[in-house]
Amino acid sequence: MERREFLKAAAGTAAAAACGVYALRVLTAKGMEGLGGEEPPAGRRWGMLVDLAKCREGCTVCLDACRSENNVAFFGDPRIDIHWIRKVAVRKQVGGRTEEKEVLLLCNHCDEPPCAQVCPVQATYKRHDGIVIVDQHRCIGCRYCMIACPYSARYFNFRDHEDWPNREHARRSHGVAESCNLCAHRLDRGRKPACVEACEALGPAALAVGDLNDPGDPVAKAVATRSVKRLKEDLGTRPKVYYEGL
Amino acid sequence: MEVTFGRIEQPSARYRLAMIVFAAMALAGLSATLVAAKEGLALTGMTNRVPWGLQIVMAVYYIGLSAGSLVISGLYGVFGKSDYKPFARIAVYVAMVFLIAGLLSILTDQGRMDRVFVEPFVYFNLRSMFSINPSLYLERRRTTKVVATLAFGWAFCVHSGTGAIFGFGSRVLYESPLLPASFVAAAMASGCAFMILLIVGLFRATRRPLDADLVVWLGRFLAVCILVVVYFLFMENAYRVYVVELRSAAMFYLFGGFHSVLFWFGLVLVGLLVPMFLLFWRRTGRDLRWILVASALVVFGVLCERYVIVLPGLLHPQEILPGMEIVKSPVEEGVVAYGGSIVEVLQALGVFGVVALLFLFGLRTFKLLPSEARSTRAAP
Repeated sequence: MERREFLKAAAGTAAAAACGVYALRVLTAKGMEGLGGEEPPAGRRWGMLVDLAKCREGCTVCLDACRSENNVAFFGDPRIDIHWIRKVAVRKQVGGRTEEKEVLLLCNHCDEPPCAQVCPVQATYKRHDGIVIVDQHRCIGCRYCMIACPYSARYFNFRDHEDWPNREHARRSHGVAESCNLCAHRLDRGRKPACVEACEALGPAALAVGDLNDPGDPVAKAVATRSVKRLKEDLGTRPKVYYEGL
Repeated sequence: MEVTFGRIEQPSARYRLAMIVFAAMALAGLSATLVAAKEGLALTGMTNRVPWGLQIVMAVYYIGLSAGSLVISGLYGVFGKSDYKPFARIAVYVAMVFLIAGLLSILTDQGRMDRVFVEPFVYFNLRSMFSINPSLYLERRRTTKVVATLAFGWAFCVHSGTGAIFGFGSRVLYESPLLPASFVAAAMASGCAFMILLIVGLFRATRRPLDADLVVWLGRFLAVCILVVVYFLFMENAYRVYVVELRSAAMFYLFGGFHSVLFWFGLVLVGLLVPMFLLFWRRTGRDLRWILVASALVVFGVLCERYVIVLPGLLHPQEILPGMEIVKSPVEEGVVAYGGSIVEVLQALGVFGVVALLFLFGLRTFKLLPSEARSTRAAP
């Protein structure tokens, strides 16, 4: 064997061995760890608890607070109205009788957000504290996130709107997608989201936000000890909005 | 036999008239797009529940036609069938033009078109099919056999990627690992059918000799493509109907409204079964006129296929609260409807006008037209 051929064969064998070892590591690793997936979150991790037993029928105070805090567009057209948080009436069969109740639906701030995964420009992303948020200056309006969201929690600005109740905040232009951002601007300043604050002010306190990584936090405690549910948990999106009494 | 290629030197009156018609279409599309860019996509038929509409249907249709047209050039470039060398140039040019059409359809559909030229490149997201996919569009050309083979494989990837945008989605009717594959099959069928129409039309219009045998063979190739599409369609739907979890969605797909009409009549009957019969039956399969009819039907059928890929998956509701029925909601729940608006229709026509202009322009500018196309096999 000539030297050149020997070197070629040796290099090939080494490369193949390296690939094999790497493949073995990836295949035997638990979950995505071997692939350099995300680190388990440290620090704050915001989550929300919705106690439906406390939620008052027909009450819309949280919805209104959200709308005026975040300048959420409303045109009176159910096809294009935007609802960061919405209330739906559901009917369910329980032991032969029909039970009716109201459920609040909003962005679930998934730990594995499909909307962020599909965004071609990373306009939708998950912050380190777990909030899923849209960069309105980067969104190109392709609406792939709306296709990907399993909770129909994403909305598109189909046209401009006139209302501008909260002058401290910008309105969105038409052509970009949006959804609940858990009032990140408020949480960052130590305040509660507008919906939570409004519900507490009214009395029932059906909504609460808290740090899921802090064992002493009331929301984290409730999540750990009480009977809570998340929506479509089987999808593996790991939502951070928890429901009690669903 | 050496084939020489030429361009249209003296544009005829018909050529000029076609240019004017297509330019008018392009202008109409441009103005519709400008109005939509100013006023917002509320002018389209799309909603929060149906965020993708006609333009996306057209985009995937064009991208399919592009991949399929490239296959015709691959007959010579990849498989060495020298009889088809005369069509190779025109096929590559058509593929390129259709690719532009696809990208143009997507572009005009964006909420913020102004950002499309910067953001996707600066903030490339490797986890998004939408990013992975257009990056595949960037480069593909034909010069040698190696490059042709690469381009061929590339086209395959491109189109699988487009299929994957849908196949890897979260809607019940989108989720299917089979979709990228069936997407490619339908693309090949539509591209082949379109090229048959185009080749025969061009050769006739410019009075160039064309051996009918070549078209007959292309017709057979088309017939095989159709068979593959039928197979994929059957498997996909059989699976959905069989699995309990997907059954109601499958029923909605097959018997749930306008899209079901498009599926059964537009795609299955008119787009696949009738052309397959025409192409396989001895009497019609060797008759140029019937091959042209079959090709036209396939071109239409695959357009229907693209519609039933995009829309039913969105019209069908997501089950946000399993086991519960939503009886009142401020947004649209349950099965919803979609109808393209005049703006979308004008945009679609506009994109077609642009690509037709590009095509006609190419005929005058580049040496695309072969002097003749003859079969080297002895006549039967």
